[in-house]
Amino acid sequence: MTLMDALPTPRLRWEGRHPNIVLVSFSCIMLAAFWVFDVVSMAPNRIVLGTGHGALEAFGWPGALLVTLLLACIGILAWQPSHRHYRALLAAVVFIMALMPVGLMASSYLLIDPELPQARLGIGAAYWLVLFVLLLCLVELRLRLNLTRIWPTLLLCGVALVWWLCAAFGLGALALVQEFRARDQQFLSAVGQHIKLVSIAVSVSIVLGLALAMLMRRYARLQKGAFAVLNFLQTIPSLALFGLLLAPLAWLAANVPFLGQLGVSGIGTTPALIALIAYSLLPIVRNTYTALEQVSPDTLEAAKGMGMRAGQRFWQVRLPLALPVLLEGVRITTVQAVGLTAVAALIGAGGLGTFIFQGLGQAAMDMVLLGALPILMMALVVDAGLGALAEALRPGGTR
Amino acid sequence: MIELSHVSKRFGDEAAVDDISLQVPKGKFCALVGTSGCGKSTTLRMINRLIEHSEGDIILDGQAIDAYDPVKLRRRIGYVIQHTGLFPHWTVARNIGLVPRLLKWSATDVQYRVAELMHLLGLPVDEFGHKYPHQLSGGQAQRVGVARALAADPDILLMDEPFGALDPITREKLQDELAKLQARLHKTVVFVTHDMDEALKLADHLVVMRKGQIVQQGSPLALLQNPSDPFVESMLGGLERGLKQAALTRVKDHMTSMGPTLPAQSRIPGVFSLRQALSMMLRDHCDRLTVVDQHDMPVGELSLRRIIKEAQLDNGNTRE
Repeated sequence: MTLMDALPTPRLRWEGRHPNIVLVSFSCIMLAAFWVFDVVSMAPNRIVLGTGHGALEAFGWPGALLVTLLLACIGILAWQPSHRHYRALLAAVVFIMALMPVGLMASSYLLIDPELPQARLGIGAAYWLVLFVLLLCLVELRLRLNLTRIWPTLLLCGVALVWWLCAAFGLGALALVQEFRARDQQFLSAVGQHIKLVSIAVSVSIVLGLALAMLMRRYARLQKGAFAVLNFLQTIPSLALFGLLLAPLAWLAANVPFLGQLGVSGIGTTPALIALIAYSLLPIVRNTYTALEQVSPDTLEAAKGMGMRAGQRFWQVRLPLALPVLLEGVRITTVQAVGLTAVAALIGAGGLGTFIFQGLGQAAMDMVLLGALPILMMALVVDAGLGALAEALRPGGTR
Repeated sequence: MIELSHVSKRFGDEAAVDDISLQVPKGKFCALVGTSGCGKSTTLRMINRLIEHSEGDIILDGQAIDAYDPVKLRRRIGYVIQHTGLFPHWTVARNIGLVPRLLKWSATDVQYRVAELMHLLGLPVDEFGHKYPHQLSGGQAQRVGVARALAADPDILLMDEPFGALDPITREKLQDELAKLQARLHKTVVFVTHDMDEALKLADHLVVMRKGQIVQQGSPLALLQNPSDPFVESMLGGLERGLKQAALTRVKDHMTSMGPTLPAQSRIPGVFSLRQALSMMLRDHCDRLTVVDQHDMPVGELSLRRIIKEAQLDNGNTRE
């Protein structure tokens, strides 16, 4: 043994680690956006177009410096990432997101003239961009840390709570909050109506879709035809489908009194539901069908050979094994329906789309946001919730 | 007792199985061997009515299988397939307990039976009972497959290339275990394989099939000594046939009593096969072995000349 062997091998601290290019570039993008684009905009009243304000004006130099440091911190931590760094990064991302409404409070204090009660603060391009990129960071971190889907959702719920508290108590000047306060009852009923439309449409299409998928398995000839029809339905633009339903349903309502009494009419909930169900059927049927067909023939053969009856094979073997893929279909469908329901407002079905179209009509972007943001959040919640459920139902805990 | 007489299966004009007759007496192990597509799997699956036969009679314990309710018939026949067909969403214990539960055994009976079978197949319940199939090795999974087939204690066991997907070492181990199990349980087994060595090792009755027909059937030794045509001969390994035959004969059945000469250096237990004896002679460069009993006491001797003479005698006898 030589002396060299006895000495400990000098180990480089960062041996074998490479910068996480994704997060580093995200950090650069956020820094650039923060300094180049408007952070907030300020308008003296609802009609006048707001004037944009950069980072220094919005936060003052201490605030701008703090934000810069925080955003740079993401890039620095991602330069030589370890597991601990990724966890720190996750904490930093969540912290920044929770800090964002506080920043808005600071700029409303700095920019809003108390003499002008109508003055309102708009969220600027930089803010949206940073928020968007932070969400992307979260996706990347989820993959790096190998977290289940439920974790980011829980964290985001926490962040949303902070936003909500700030909006309720310290952000009266924010245009979005003002729009909400002007029509809070209307907002709540719109959310309720939106959820109602989505849940009716999705549950009806689950029942119809399951039945259709079963029929397709029994009658092979039906399969081609049904998929062709469903695919065709999917290609009709949603607006056109709503329009196309108008005339026949109005005719039905006028000529079949029973249907009229049930609430069928050319505009409103009925055509909206019909269109939503038509769109929802394809993903449900497709996933249900593939889910049921992809169950290993060996397993089914064994089930038959062991002496299980057809019903037992279906309920105890085929369906449980198909469930994760089937639920995936429900998830896709629900997320799609949440978005599509916004369009249904055009034919008087209500829901959050009402604000979007009213806002577009009045060129009031904040009102559009009042409709769009809850839709976005609903879609995210549905996505995460059903995704987590499908994950939990994987056969035998295979993850 | 399983009896097939003039059984055929046609898919359209194509005959997958063409007029085969065969008998598997109670407690015997019958192996169906042939190249792929020869109809051996189809034959097996006709017995538990996964495929309905087109012509002929399949008789089980004196009654034609058409008279049974297919579901009830399958519940009294154990069935093992190549890729195990275990239910991936069920634990090992639940998989094994399937047929007893279908037969409405009480929960405690099922639990007791599962534990018993897992013990029998060398899978401790505490360690494996709660595992899922994807957590098992190939060999363990197929043991579970065998346990599941045996769960309701059926008289008949159908095995469709059960060890075909396993590595050679695991396969051999499971073959040995199956042989031991069969020596204890005496099930009536129909075993499909394309591996002639596996069939020779396990079977009491060997059936060689080609293009839906039985080419030759009989005891493994009879087939080795007297293959009826070149196809059977090539299935049996051509030039290797002599060694395969030697593998089926035990040393103690052919040894002679100790002669006046000095005992040979190399010793071989009497339960070993002539093939192993030949291998030992090649390894030790000798033409004589001392045969010993389980206590390593010499009980006789075996010479190369004797082995060759015996083979001559055996084959001569069957030809007559």
